[in-house]
Amino acid sequence: MKTSNFIKQLAVFGTVAAMTGFSAITVQAAPAAKTIRVLTTTGVDATMPDAAIWKKAPATQVNLQPAFPGHGSIVGIPATTQLVAQAVRTGDRIFIKLVWSDSTVNTEIKDTAQFVDGAAVQFPVNGKATTISFMGDAQNPVNVWHWRADGRTENLMARGFGTAMAVPFEGLRSASVRTDSGWAVVLTRPLRVKKNEGASLQNRKTVPIAFAAWDGANQERDGLKAVTLEWWQLQF
Amino acid sequence: MRQLAYVFDLNKCIGCHTCTMACKQLWTNRGGREYMYWNNVETHPGKGYPKNWEKKGGGFKDGVLLTDGKIPPREDYGGTWEYNLEEVLLQGKGNQVVPHEKPTWGPNWDEDEGEGVFPNNHYFYVPRICNHCSNPACLAACPSKAIYKRPEDGLVVIDQERCRGYRYCVKACPYGKVYFNLQTQKSEKCIGCYPRVEKGTPPACVAQCVGKIRFVGYRDDKDGPIYKLVEQWKVALPLHAEYGTQPNVFYVPPMNTTPLVFEEDGRLGDKPRIPLADLEAMFGPDVKPALETLGREMQKRRQAQPSELTELLIGYTNKDRYRL
Repeated sequence: MKTSNFIKQLAVFGTVAAMTGFSAITVQAAPAAKTIRVLTTTGVDATMPDAAIWKKAPATQVNLQPAFPGHGSIVGIPATTQLVAQAVRTGDRIFIKLVWSDSTVNTEIKDTAQFVDGAAVQFPVNGKATTISFMGDAQNPVNVWHWRADGRTENLMARGFGTAMAVPFEGLRSASVRTDSGWAVVLTRPLRVKKNEGASLQNRKTVPIAFAAWDGANQERDGLKAVTLEWWQLQF
Repeated sequence: MRQLAYVFDLNKCIGCHTCTMACKQLWTNRGGREYMYWNNVETHPGKGYPKNWEKKGGGFKDGVLLTDGKIPPREDYGGTWEYNLEEVLLQGKGNQVVPHEKPTWGPNWDEDEGEGVFPNNHYFYVPRICNHCSNPACLAACPSKAIYKRPEDGLVVIDQERCRGYRYCVKACPYGKVYFNLQTQKSEKCIGCYPRVEKGTPPACVAQCVGKIRFVGYRDDKDGPIYKLVEQWKVALPLHAEYGTQPNVFYVPPMNTTPLVFEEDGRLGDKPRIPLADLEAMFGPDVKPALETLGREMQKRRQAQPSELTELLIGYTNKDRYRL
């Protein structure tokens, strides 16, 4: 089961961190293959998922696994198994495009038992891959950009499982379109933010990043989600 | 932690819904709460509110939180139809007051239907609020830690700032007493009228009760009606204790004595009108001794002997019924 694997991984991270320090962790947590290369350019608008620039940016397939449930009330298997990620940097902004399959459109909560589709990227606020990729911890918060199919995009900060809180930040925006088979979403935010607004991505060669997707039709919300269990690297 | 608790005497409930209206006027007639009845009165046997809540799942088994609970669909709570009162009564348009949509289900749809065939049919009313459980399933189910018990009175409340609208609480509450606000996209529930309780005033549903069936006070107050009825006389019982949440609303079960069922030949028989098994299914095996105690004390009263229990249950004054 993925859960026990994940706990083992955490244990390994901890042990390695204690023995060898940070640089060894980076290798462990994010092997070179798990890299999203950022296309840096100027004078283009990457806001829309169908913007021309996305034909040029490298596309990387990201496999997703069920998240460690983290709480007894979270049960079920998430439906999404992979997404394709791309990243573009223009000036002081980063744009991250996520494309994944989802045959059911869940864009509204009009009934008490409905949930919406969603996707998110997560960054460690301290920029370090030693931060627990599972929602961070009390000392090492994570910043989550959460796109929801009902039109809301939330800037979240979390210090461990069950602590995600919305920190409204107008600089975080999103755009989405339905594709033939699912969703294409672009999340964009200025690279530089204040520490209480999220993870600053300014002046970085690489930044750890994690991904998540929710299928509303499968009652997915919160920890019932498909995720990358380890950090990937966003390479500028 | 002190625990506020309630006793509802079902023998005194006349099903007038004044409690429901008091709560609705105070808390749930606006802001996406229109469909919610934090307090409702339902007829048993019946489907209740939300529809078939007794089959919705949730709660605990052997101390373990169950994850089989359902989130009731919106339609199971019933419509919130509006009437064209102003048009017909004030503007003189048309001559029939009608709801804006055809009602197909409501929080009180099967009122007074009950079960059985006349003259041996039966029903009774069950007013319901959040049980402010000592072991709340909603609290246990919330991954966001948005639900907590207030240390000063044990009332269970949802922090609207922390709530993320995941609805595990709605799934987990076996009583169907946590609601999802579609407007705010967060879950809400009865707050035990804590702003009133903090001022020593009983909750609105308690204060407005026409039949004076409701008692409120703290579990550990040995001089109060709650302790006396629950612990001392053991005539007030939790609803569906088997759900494992340790509810803090206790019910004095309905007596079967009047009238007993009619036999085929029209004479009064000796069987109880409400089958004991039905009451045991709701209030557990302690129903029988509770009914026996009630019957014995009422008999004393009929014979002009003093009975502390019946005095207690009559609850002559607010001071007798409320200890806050």
